[in-house]
Amino acid sequence: MKITFPHMGNVYLAVKALFDGLGIEYVIPPKNSKKTLEIGSLHSPEEICLPYKIMIGNYVQAAEMGADTVLLTGSCGPCRFGEYCEMQMNLLNKLGHDFKFIVIDAPGDIGVSELFNRIAEISTKSRMSKHKKLQCVKYALDVINLTDKLDAKAHWLAGYERKREECKKLLHASKRDAARCSNPKEMIKLLKDYEKKFDNVELDLDKDPVKIAIIGEIYTVIEPFSNLYIEDKLMSYGVSTRRELTPSWWVKNMVMSPTRLNSLDLKRHSKEYLRLEIGGHARECIGEAVKAYEDGLDGAIQIFPMGCMPEIVSKAILPRISKDKNFPIMTLVVDEMTGEAGYVTRIEAFLDLLERRKEHVLSGS
Amino acid sequence: MYYLGVDVGSVSTDLIVLDERLNVKDKIYLRTRGRPIQVIQEGFKLLREKYMDEEIHACGTTGSGRSIAATLIGADVVKNEITAHSTAALEMDRDVQTIIEIGGQDSKIIVLRDGIVVDFAMNTVCAAGTGSFLDRQAERLDIPIEEFGDYALKATTPVRIAGRCAVFAESDMIHKQQLGYYEADIIGGLCEALVRNYLNNIGKGKEILPKVFFQGGVAANKGIKKAFEDALGFEVIVPDYYDMMGAIGAAIIARNAVRKTGRTNFKGFGLADSTFVSKSFECAGCPNCCEVVRIYENEKAIGCFGDRCGKWNTSLPAQTIA
Repeated sequence: MKITFPHMGNVYLAVKALFDGLGIEYVIPPKNSKKTLEIGSLHSPEEICLPYKIMIGNYVQAAEMGADTVLLTGSCGPCRFGEYCEMQMNLLNKLGHDFKFIVIDAPGDIGVSELFNRIAEISTKSRMSKHKKLQCVKYALDVINLTDKLDAKAHWLAGYERKREECKKLLHASKRDAARCSNPKEMIKLLKDYEKKFDNVELDLDKDPVKIAIIGEIYTVIEPFSNLYIEDKLMSYGVSTRRELTPSWWVKNMVMSPTRLNSLDLKRHSKEYLRLEIGGHARECIGEAVKAYEDGLDGAIQIFPMGCMPEIVSKAILPRISKDKNFPIMTLVVDEMTGEAGYVTRIEAFLDLLERRKEHVLSGS
Repeated sequence: MYYLGVDVGSVSTDLIVLDERLNVKDKIYLRTRGRPIQVIQEGFKLLREKYMDEEIHACGTTGSGRSIAATLIGADVVKNEITAHSTAALEMDRDVQTIIEIGGQDSKIIVLRDGIVVDFAMNTVCAAGTGSFLDRQAERLDIPIEEFGDYALKATTPVRIAGRCAVFAESDMIHKQQLGYYEADIIGGLCEALVRNYLNNIGKGKEILPKVFFQGGVAANKGIKKAFEDALGFEVIVPDYYDMMGAIGAAIIARNAVRKTGRTNFKGFGLADSTFVSKSFECAGCPNCCEVVRIYENEKAIGCFGDRCGKWNTSLPAQTIA
């Protein structure tokens, strides 16, 4: 068995740490690129959302590297992601790839024993003691928490750095080096070292940078290839950004969801505009927008793939929030286009808008 | 003392020269034809006759080709079209509250209140209603694009055409033509359809208040202007230099920037004689597989685009043509 999994931001580092620790063979698909998307859109249904296409590209590229099993998180969810695993199994079958799918669904949907059965399909491949296996899971969780922390630090400090792009370079270096580690302990140590390096970035705390919340559909906000590397761009512009939806948030949210105590703050913030769970992360998106306003950020950018049902609903609600709170929100819809001109124009114009508003408020005119 | 603005758009490239008081001294309108470098050179050849390098005290670029233009001419600012257009409009009239801008491939709405941009939108995936589409229809009907608007004004009972999608609008038009409808009514109907599409699509959820400025190449079309006025119920103003607003904005923003820095980066009109070559390749340095384009001026690399990590950009000065 050689396991692979689709890309989503930094997740590959955590999975790498897990399988390195367990001593299970795995394949990390090549990083998302135009080629991945080309393969994906060649085989996928035309109207399916962008993440599906990129994921198909990941599987096909991983198959070329010898992968035979796919590890995927499910959601049985009220958005199309819930059907991804069945559709992708079917599609890959037709393409002649004999993949075995192991879908990790929330225990609330499939029951605890089924979840353990599925996990056992992987864990029995490792000859370690139960205790050591749990240790490895802990390592993977540490990695995902650390990488998310580094992301958040870099994205926020980029607005205050004295040397342009220092945070961006440091962040990229941390990921490059982490991918080279051969065991989880080493990776965790390295990430912690990088965390310290961020504390040494020279900051200009007198600066008042533009601060933006990145909100929207979870895959397209997390996977940089799908959003044309918006966070990198914003770091280069010297803008501070914040994003609540991260892989570590997702893990925490899923674990907590049976208790209904998950993401209480986002639920509270979304209450006024969207009380119900309508699928995907629409409610979170609304909550984040309101929270960003209350936290004193300057604006928010919503990103989602074309045809994303839950986010279309939140998109329709956002202008209302924008008006009520006098809080600029811009929506970017991503699809297969990789031409950046129009995209960059929008981002730059939005930054100009926020900057001018800031000056306006400060000068009191 | 003059300020230069260059707007490299998909269809046209505009060059503008403003004097100290921001009056337009010169304007040049050229077709881009997919060759931004050559067209800038062409424009510079014309400007060289009238102006000395030293007289240009600031220069700015905008439009979808703004980065390449900036590298070429040594721009002081590189600004997006939305900011450029609103800067130019506000310079002319502080009271403008809405800008409708329709260019070759883009259409935009910019909402301003009290002299600052508060909201904007741009067409995402659909090119219906932009200049290129009108160009194509004019060509198909064998009517010069300049006269297209006059035809629309002659319409007595504009025909209803579906403006949702450029392709279907065209088949709808062909169908109505085959049924023998009066040409002017069809063109009038097309203008109405495009305006309807604009207001429903880009203008959706935006508060369109007067004064409204109508800018961009399509503003030359009187039929569209009238259709906007009919739909909105008030006057739509087409400024004098409606097709140059981007370039004017870039020049003004450049002036403001140079006031702060104290000097311009303008490279001079001499580049009209340089030989520019651009080479593209796929970087194999990492799995990102960036498509990198490098521009050479007289065999010396002057600019690099498309790499995400910046390694080609920063390694520039030492590079020469291979």
